[in-house]
Amino acid sequence: MADDKDVLRDVWFGRIPTCFTLSQDEATEREAEPYYLLLPRVSYLTLVTDKVKKHFLKAMRTEDVEEMWFEYEGTPLKWHNPIGVLFDLHASNTVLPWSITVHFKNFPDSDLLHCPSNSVIEAHFMSSIKEADALKHKGQVVNDMQKKDHKQLWMGLQNDKFDQFWAMNRKLMEYPTEEGGFRYIPFRIYQTTSDRPFIQKLFRPVSPEGNTHTLGDLLKAMYPDALTNDGEQKRYQVVIHGIEPLLETPLQWLSEHLSHPDNFLHICVIPAPSD
Amino acid sequence: MSCFALDEERFRLCCRLLLQRSDQLRDGWSWNVVQGSEEGYLKKTVLRSDSELHATPTAEEQQREQSAAAPEGIRGHSEDDDDEDDGACTVLESSRQALQYEYHVLYSCSYNTPVLYFRAFTLEGRSLSLEEVWSSVHPNFRLRLQESPLDTITQQEHPLLGQPFFMLHPCKTEEFMKPLLQAAVDQNRPVNYVLSWLSVVGPVVGLHVPLQYCETG
Repeated sequence: MADDKDVLRDVWFGRIPTCFTLSQDEATEREAEPYYLLLPRVSYLTLVTDKVKKHFLKAMRTEDVEEMWFEYEGTPLKWHNPIGVLFDLHASNTVLPWSITVHFKNFPDSDLLHCPSNSVIEAHFMSSIKEADALKHKGQVVNDMQKKDHKQLWMGLQNDKFDQFWAMNRKLMEYPTEEGGFRYIPFRIYQTTSDRPFIQKLFRPVSPEGNTHTLGDLLKAMYPDALTNDGEQKRYQVVIHGIEPLLETPLQWLSEHLSHPDNFLHICVIPAPSD
Repeated sequence: MSCFALDEERFRLCCRLLLQRSDQLRDGWSWNVVQGSEEGYLKKTVLRSDSELHATPTAEEQQREQSAAAPEGIRGHSEDDDDEDDGACTVLESSRQALQYEYHVLYSCSYNTPVLYFRAFTLEGRSLSLEEVWSSVHPNFRLRLQESPLDTITQQEHPLLGQPFFMLHPCKTEEFMKPLLQAAVDQNRPVNYVLSWLSVVGPVVGLHVPLQYCETG
């Protein structure tokens, strides 16, 4: 079980300094100053940007305002991925603060999901937890929970309450000792080189021979190009929560400690900086 | 894993059989592969007239639904003659519109089930909103689906294409497929999981599976 509580705290309280700027295309009545915010890595863009919206609306006429959306260097940011994943995937190895452009019109229907209210984020979040539990415990843990337990998970995330969230989430992290881990590890591997949003397949934490599977084993099976062969120059970085964990790290440990609150281990494979 | 769960290999086999029959019946299904991967999905595009979408619930049914939903105080009003005229008008107006529906059948390794994704466009290329999609679902289905704690139709990212699609949530699929598959086992008759499942969930969002699929071809 999750004994390394410090790690859980570090992951939960990870922040990204961000500068929001209104898009040049937006019509304003007066000049809109940039807005600075520390974004929680484990949350969702549309969940933590009420203040950003309020700030820019002051400079705009209401008739010019449609659904708010975000963009980084020409890429619309998918709010349904955790903030930390968006940053690691698109903006690793760049200078801080992270510079995000805010739009209020021309919503890119073909790229982004609509997010008309927080209940949409809640449904998305709970659906991820449900799917992760289907992989880990055939859905038995999440189905045995009551509605108020589900609410506790969501409220914990929404209100940034670490203890409230983990009091319930630890149940989702349990497994029978004799099995050495979950049934399957809920993971997603992201990369920017194809349109395909992520790789997600079945992968067990322990091999049929009883050996512990590591992060390296997972990548070897799912995305061998991400690994550097002997004598080769490193082409890719494998990033989780802004760090490069050792490839020898057991996958089960990563799943328990470095998963996002949605219970998925989100892994970004990005080009190594050339220097 | 129970014998009612669908593994990926059997999903592929079911799809292949469905495609063979679709070719014979000219029903329009095709297999699409994602570039640079061995994964793929079934796809079919259908042109639906809006009159077809709204023809199913009769004006009477709609009115009954409206008055049931309306608060006590204003219930009487919906029986006015005026309202009936309004209803007829809507049908006429909307019958001019045609919508293009695109259906995708994918495999979910998390739930061991097929999943139905779809999107819809007007002929001008505008994509339908979630509200518009819900309003095209027959009221009988709609009420039942919306009772479920997890909204059954939601907008989701297509896991292979990365674009927004609507999805019928798969978390109940195994539950409703069980009796259907059990019956087939009991009667010792072959069953195509994907075909049977599609004939259950498809009609909810306007996708019909012709009965001829089940005749031996």
